[in-house]
Amino acid sequence: MRAVGGVAEVAAVVRDAAAAGRTLRIVGAGRWLDAGHPVRAAATLDLSALAGIHAYTPADLTISVGAATTLAALDEATRAHGQWCPLLPWGDDGGSVGATVATATSGPFAAALGRPRDLVIGLECVDGLGRTVQAGGRVVKNVAGFDLVRTMTGSWGTLGAITALHLRLRARPAVDESYALTADPARDEALHAFVRGPYAPLACVALTPALAGSIGVPATTRWLVRIGGNPGFAAAARSALGALGRAEPVGHECWTALRREAATPARATAWRWDHLSLRLKDAFDPERVLNPGLLGDRT
Amino acid sequence: MNETATTLLPELARIVGEAHALVRASSLLVYESDGLPGYQRRPAVAVFPGDRSELVAVMRLLAQEQLPFVARGAGTGLSGGALADGVVLLGLHRMRRILAIDTEARTATVEPGVVNATLTRAAAPYGLHYAPDPSSQTACTIGGNIAENAGGPHCLKYGVTLNHVVRATIVMPSGQVLTLDRGDDGGYDLLGAFVGSEGCFGVVADVTVRLTPDPEGVITLLADFVTVRDAAAATSAIIAAGILPAALELMDQATIQAVEQSIYAAGYPVDAAAVLLIEVDGAAAGLEDDALEVARLCRENGARGVRTAHDPAERATLWQGRKKAFGAMGRVAPHLVVQDAVVPRTKLATLLEEIQAIGAKHRLRVCNVFHAGDGNLHPNIPYDASDPDEAARVHLAMREIMQRCIDAGGTITGEHGVGLDKLPYMEALFTPETLDAMCSLRRVFDPDRRANPGKVVPVHACKEWYGVVRT
Repeated sequence: MRAVGGVAEVAAVVRDAAAAGRTLRIVGAGRWLDAGHPVRAAATLDLSALAGIHAYTPADLTISVGAATTLAALDEATRAHGQWCPLLPWGDDGGSVGATVATATSGPFAAALGRPRDLVIGLECVDGLGRTVQAGGRVVKNVAGFDLVRTMTGSWGTLGAITALHLRLRARPAVDESYALTADPARDEALHAFVRGPYAPLACVALTPALAGSIGVPATTRWLVRIGGNPGFAAAARSALGALGRAEPVGHECWTALRREAATPARATAWRWDHLSLRLKDAFDPERVLNPGLLGDRT
Repeated sequence: MNETATTLLPELARIVGEAHALVRASSLLVYESDGLPGYQRRPAVAVFPGDRSELVAVMRLLAQEQLPFVARGAGTGLSGGALADGVVLLGLHRMRRILAIDTEARTATVEPGVVNATLTRAAAPYGLHYAPDPSSQTACTIGGNIAENAGGPHCLKYGVTLNHVVRATIVMPSGQVLTLDRGDDGGYDLLGAFVGSEGCFGVVADVTVRLTPDPEGVITLLADFVTVRDAAAATSAIIAAGILPAALELMDQATIQAVEQSIYAAGYPVDAAAVLLIEVDGAAAGLEDDALEVARLCRENGARGVRTAHDPAERATLWQGRKKAFGAMGRVAPHLVVQDAVVPRTKLATLLEEIQAIGAKHRLRVCNVFHAGDGNLHPNIPYDASDPDEAARVHLAMREIMQRCIDAGGTITGEHGVGLDKLPYMEALFTPETLDAMCSLRRVFDPDRRANPGKVVPVHACKEWYGVVRT
């Protein structure tokens, strides 16, 4: 099936499918085609044309994008204004923002900068009944009505097909440095305290020698660390890091490589289909149109 | 319902004890309103379970009798959300035990009636605190905070309640007990759907929340401005510069004067058109630089002066004025409408001017005291509800203000919730299909619409409940 051109067309396709008893597999960039289960669908709902920046006022630190916008395109648009959307999920930057949110995939920066459920302020989707839902909004704080944003985030397109997203952005830190830390395993406890302390890094990931080699940092690297903040903060963080072992400056591109190399395909093989979850599925996709089988046999 | 109340009372008293099941009008009086003056609804009966087993027993009895109910914490809400109109009021303030504090995981597990500030006090010996800090934090409960997805000044940096809830055990309207989590291990984010559901999805039996390490340092600044526009511009400049203050609050002249004439006087300059109360916190290194940059941006945008609190006592005084501002407005007039709209931060200056113009047009005094860093406005209008003409003008002005905020790309509530108060604006904000989807979500948790009926989504927006056949 050709790529649909807009949300109205998505709604029409879903309504027709529901009426005809047809099933649809939702595809954006095509990076997450299954979750460990085969999708049994008669047709493809190709959202790849729903890409692009819809609205971006840098001083508001928010952005609105089409769901098929790639992570790379989002990064490029925001970088130009000294900002970023710190989703930075496991996987490669050719993946779409929509799939990142639909699968609630986070990455090495999640603890410091937030996960999809923290960074999405609004979204547009079409549910299995063909309803076009404008969940949340475009402002950073919003409690109007029941939370359809969190409901859709991480639902793997089984409740609705996400067509657009409103995201919270952050300013990139004034100082942003990556280090390959070679440290004695006996220092792990001290490193743990550093990560939980006031000079906590933006990210800190344990590397195996093989992984270190594949992302272009010295094979002796035990931890890949990124620190960010104003110059005073960064100086103190750098010195705290230096006390843990040999910290060698490396380029930020190793994080892109790490996210790509260390990504394991997202799996939903142990999806919890309790009573409430089944009721949720019944409420938003009673005809079982969207991504059937993706989350296991129950649907 | 009164008939039901009479027959129900002995049953409820048997579960919770006679002292904790009330039906006499004089006893129910205090439960007729919440923190927002202007709404009164009398419950048929009020029941206060003391622990989880009593709560579950009450909920099962209500389910068996198919009776509607309204959960209530401390009753400090600002949307009329915890009012029970002729139905059962389920007060949770007796369930106030802190069940566990895990310093390694940095979490606390508490019953719903634990007061927000009490949790922070309990966590203090471990260098931790509970970050969401609504202005009512010395009275409001964690259960109420979860129902409303409460915010507070410091959620600019630390996030709202949603971002701090890890897990919750809830009692469904059916009486079934369930544990909800964020779905991290493979499941829908039912916890995310529940937080902020304003008591319409069920009742919290216990909840695990994140505790946040106390910052190494805190610097509180007060910047004063000769125009509101300058203060708003300074706010935008600080946000755009990428500094993330812990809090960034704006108070206008009407608010400053109300505070300074009250017992909460904080030493704000009474001739200023607006002040910004700004706090930066975090690691000690670099903190001073952030404060200097904030002060520089304020001056660059027209601040007359920028003052730094020199000690914790001065800091507490500056904050007290802000947190008690609503109370201070009580001196101005007997009633107060409190609004809670949010707009994109770059539109603050324009919106504030428009709000003043709308107030002037309707001959009303608008006091602005709000979370500028989030764009979360609180235009408040003190008035006398016994004056029908003035009350009508307040109503008109509020509707115009809401519409302007919606037109500017904003929302009608940032942290107070819809409740009863903002129900009339839901259809201006959301499409019929979106409202219908919200009804679908509610039906998942509460198919019989017994939990906090008549709140949040106008009932006629729900196709299935309203009897419109879906085509």
